[in-house]
Amino acid sequence: MAILEISHVSRFFGGLAANADVSFSVEEGRIMGLIGPNGAGKTTLFNCITGYYPPSRGEIRFDGRSLNGLQPDRICKLGMVRTWQKVRPLAKLSVLDNVMIGALARTHSLNKARELAMVQLTVVGLERRADFLAGGLPIGERKKLEVARALATQPKLLLLDEVMGGLNPAESEEIIQLILAIKQQGLTQMVIEHDMKAIMRISDRIVVLNSGEKLAEGTPEEVVSNQDVVDAYLGESHA
Amino acid sequence: MRAALKLTLFLIVLGGLVAFPRMVQSPYFLQLMILVFLAVAQGQSWNILGGYAGQHSVGHAAYFGVGAYVTLILLQSRQIPPWWGIWAGVVVAVIVALIIGAICFRLRGPYFVLASIAVAEIMRLSATNLKGLTNGAEGILATDIPSLRWGERVVADFSISKVPFYYIGLGLALLTLGVAWGVAHSKLGYYLQAIREDQDAAHSLGIPIARYKNYGLMISAALTSMTGSFFGVFVGFVDPPTVLGLDVSVQIMLICIIGGMGTLYGPVLGAVVLVPLAEALRSNAVTDLLVKVGAVSPESKVGLFLKENLSHAHVLIYGILVVLVILFMPEGIVGALRKLTARRRREVA
Repeated sequence: MAILEISHVSRFFGGLAANADVSFSVEEGRIMGLIGPNGAGKTTLFNCITGYYPPSRGEIRFDGRSLNGLQPDRICKLGMVRTWQKVRPLAKLSVLDNVMIGALARTHSLNKARELAMVQLTVVGLERRADFLAGGLPIGERKKLEVARALATQPKLLLLDEVMGGLNPAESEEIIQLILAIKQQGLTQMVIEHDMKAIMRISDRIVVLNSGEKLAEGTPEEVVSNQDVVDAYLGESHA
Repeated sequence: MRAALKLTLFLIVLGGLVAFPRMVQSPYFLQLMILVFLAVAQGQSWNILGGYAGQHSVGHAAYFGVGAYVTLILLQSRQIPPWWGIWAGVVVAVIVALIIGAICFRLRGPYFVLASIAVAEIMRLSATNLKGLTNGAEGILATDIPSLRWGERVVADFSISKVPFYYIGLGLALLTLGVAWGVAHSKLGYYLQAIREDQDAAHSLGIPIARYKNYGLMISAALTSMTGSFFGVFVGFVDPPTVLGLDVSVQIMLICIIGGMGTLYGPVLGAVVLVPLAEALRSNAVTDLLVKVGAVSPESKVGLFLKENLSHAHVLIYGILVVLVILFMPEGIVGALRKLTARRRREVA
């Protein structure tokens, strides 16, 4: 069953179409990879889906209901949450407080939120950093904090915007394992990533964007063998 | 253990403050303490919106003025005693806050600051020109405040001494401290801080930012209005510049900035430092002290110069000191103290 349906979504900035007539859907429990060259409109699409920019045209349906006109906070409450390509820790608050603020989307009790937050910190392996200031974490741990905070809102669909960007291979591997572990729990994910090896490993399906348009969609194998994708993005070495 | 220590310390200070008027009869010191309480309450009220939510309003005079005006207008034209008038002020301030919030919170950062100034200026000009309601630039004089009675017993007679104002001021300071504590230890406080740190991130985590900013503003406005009512009755007079001027807004903000924004004790420390400092500079206590210590002789040129001019320059000196504090303690007194203790802890470890 499709948990997210994107139909004919366009987003214009002035005369520029950052997304043009993009349609695809994400199956429940699967990982959808979203790739494409810089400026292809991947992050713009995330912003449309999560309510930061309303789509200029088209409709996005999540869990059976239209998201048109909904603000990001409502969309989070419905069960869809995103992380940020450029991490956005609440710098002067502790790591635990950051994740608690995510958890407070589902409870009014600070104690309950603290419990939920500790669980998620353990999931991403940051439990020993709980009392540190979020602003003082190194980049690898900030990325994990983004994920823990998003998970604490108890989403049905997690949108990860380049969580491996700027990480060394060992850290990337930890994130890959984390994404796969989250999938094991049945959570649907949509992942923007530039690291082709990683995205091929984790994705069930992949959508390729180019100049705002959908260039191709399919399983990782189908996508790498697609001549358009090779020409526009991958280059010959991947083919 | 640390919590118990804090509580004990708090109770000792509180006990001292409650006993203060019995030990010190001097009306001067009583007055000084009342002004400190007022500043604590003002700073703490601003702190909820400016410190925790990071919405730096430079127009809190609007709510301060509303409280002062509503209470004194009701007292003078309707003979409604101030302990009822203060609540009317709160109601009006919250309504004003709702209107201002609906308009200004569409704006972020410097635009919000400018809008907050504009609103306070509109209020000041309105108060100056709506002569029928506010008596214009002449202001309103509170002639006599009825004494507060419980049955037949007079609980507080405001005409004899300042002691009732002392306890009401103390109560107001404690009230704002209590509210700020409650906010800081609740979902509201966490959400306000999330908004302060990063609005977009907060929005993505399910926080309806406009609604929570409005909650913060309403609480802040209600408390600020109460401080305005207290000030109006205590001074016995309001006119537009004393309660609605831009300098009132800045003063409220400074208490919090100097003390430490977004901390529970910041406004307290800010008030304890700023009010006596302003008072000492105004009354030229600095020159007296220098003379007493023997640093300057009163007959020397320097001594005479200081005596002549220092009190005239009190606003200038105050301003320079504020700039120095902001430059060297950007996170206020509380921030500087924290850094100091953190360093010491590291040295010990």
